[in-house]
Amino acid sequence: MLLEGTLVYSNLIALLSLGLTLTYITTSVPNFAHGSLAVFGSYLALIFLYLFNIHPYIALPMVFLICGLVGVLCYLLILRPLIKRGASVVILMIATLALDLMLLGFIGAISDAIEKTTSKSAKKFIFTIYDFEIFGISGIFFVSTAIMLATLFLLWLLLFKTKFGIALRASMENPNLAEVMGVDVEKTRLFSWFLSSALAGLAGTLLPFKQEIVPLTGGLIIVSIFSASIVGGLASVLGAIFGGYLIGISESLVTYWLSMFIGPEVLLYSKVIPLTALIIALLLMPQGIVEGLRKWIKSFST
Amino acid sequence: MDQILLNIAFWFGIYAIVSISLNIEYGLAGIPNFGKALAVLFGAFTVGGIVNRFFIAIYGIQGEIIDSSAELKTILNQRIAEDPAFGIFLLLLCLSLSAIVGAVVGALAILPSARLSRDYLAITLLAISEVSFMVFNYNTSLGGGYYGISVPDVFAFYGGNRQLLFTILSLSVLALVYIIAERLSNSPFGRLLRAMREDEEVVKAFGRNLMVLRIKASAIASSIAAISGALFSLFTANFIASNFTRVEWTFYPFLILLLGGAGNNKGVLLGTLVLVTTKQLLMVYKHEIVELLMIPFETVWLEYIAFGFLMLLVLFYKPEGLIKEKPVIIKRVRDEKG
Repeated sequence: MLLEGTLVYSNLIALLSLGLTLTYITTSVPNFAHGSLAVFGSYLALIFLYLFNIHPYIALPMVFLICGLVGVLCYLLILRPLIKRGASVVILMIATLALDLMLLGFIGAISDAIEKTTSKSAKKFIFTIYDFEIFGISGIFFVSTAIMLATLFLLWLLLFKTKFGIALRASMENPNLAEVMGVDVEKTRLFSWFLSSALAGLAGTLLPFKQEIVPLTGGLIIVSIFSASIVGGLASVLGAIFGGYLIGISESLVTYWLSMFIGPEVLLYSKVIPLTALIIALLLMPQGIVEGLRKWIKSFST
Repeated sequence: MDQILLNIAFWFGIYAIVSISLNIEYGLAGIPNFGKALAVLFGAFTVGGIVNRFFIAIYGIQGEIIDSSAELKTILNQRIAEDPAFGIFLLLLCLSLSAIVGAVVGALAILPSARLSRDYLAITLLAISEVSFMVFNYNTSLGGGYYGISVPDVFAFYGGNRQLLFTILSLSVLALVYIIAERLSNSPFGRLLRAMREDEEVVKAFGRNLMVLRIKASAIASSIAAISGALFSLFTANFIASNFTRVEWTFYPFLILLLGGAGNNKGVLLGTLVLVTTKQLLMVYKHEIVELLMIPFETVWLEYIAFGFLMLLVLFYKPEGLIKEKPVIIKRVRDEKG
């Protein structure tokens, strides 16, 4: 039961940190709106459920598409014009912070409007009662794991088996050089924003099966996402997935373990764990765990 | 109407102090402190959680911090009513102690990321601020949690409108902070911070330690921001952690700074005036707006969307702000030119 919840949570954090890292690699801006985008996905799923009676699992493809389009629009309408004007990374970060606030405003407005029209609770909701069970294991465990595996497989196919993947990897390694060699950097950016936001939408749809959602959830979950990405090195796809599982597992297990010694109130402070991991990572290996380990192993071999 | 003007004047003082502090950090030193709310939170906590505990120990009051603070408030309010000098002493104690706590917190928060690039700085500062906010919000024995803790009224001796006194106080502190910030920005240290903002490599090449510079800038700025938190807490006569959200104390100061013009303090004052006035008017005409636009949700969400959009407009069309930063010309250069 504990292990199951831990894995579900880790799957979702890994999906989110993977998306954050993708846009960071292509656009070199940490997207501060990523958490809110996921919660936006949660609310889309809630709309599908309350207003159209569509089960969240069935709504996954639609949330995937809508969130992906929102991400593309954010890039096209906000980030691309700013990059064209030569805005610094800090200005781009502030822009995503503004985007985060606008998304929070929309999410809040949606939650109020849902409550008014359906008179069901939308300021705080959870999907666990809509979940199914196989052999005593909750459906969310299978669904989140399947989505994670499918994402990894498709991403691998795309990155290593297609021409577009080569272009994508080239612009990840060195955007300027890739552009000179005729790679359409613009296309890779558009693609990364679509995929990143669409994955955030998926994670957002699945998150209510694991924990309660309120409009402000995005502001808190961003701590775990950033920690996972930074532990992974912020610019490494493999690192992001690794970091996602490391943060997800430690956040769940360490808080659980501490709660046995200190008491259940520790569960409220679970976000202290990813923050601690983030700080340790910055102090010991700011280049990320994948790079860090590689260097560490190298130091033995030479 | 008078009340609205008084509200605007009071909040102008509080927000201008925070924004000037952000101007030192971001406008001068180029540190994107996305965790500005942290210092404000700790400034307010100093009043409610540290000064209170000190007096609770002196008076030997028993019980949880929430109950004992309420008891302390009754005792101290009575004492201040009889002895105004004690109220002033308490006020100065709160302000100076919060400045010290703010400096320590600011220096500690920037420590893990002080040697890294700006995106790492922003992420780490935001994460520390968010997690601290959460801990203070949930933990009732630390600072009262969502129940909050009572704070004595330092102007309990005054029978009239206490907001008038607090407005005068916040504007006087602002004047002092403004003078300090202006002098700092024209000092050799201020020029060094500007140089760091423009080109970190040059500053390194001249043998300066970026990490030390950043820690110093953050400590000074956080100390100022903490004072405004303390003023806020003294004014509302309580400390509730949930008041110190990222939107109100990190995003709005950034909006003020970019709207007014980063790097110059006059712009900060203008930006503060615009934002605070808009916010107050939104609050006053809340019901009218809901009825007029027939929106099925609370105005706070509309406020978020509008201010987020305003930030984007500023970034697009007025990235240097309403008042542009002027090059600093020190006295000797001016004399030689003239």
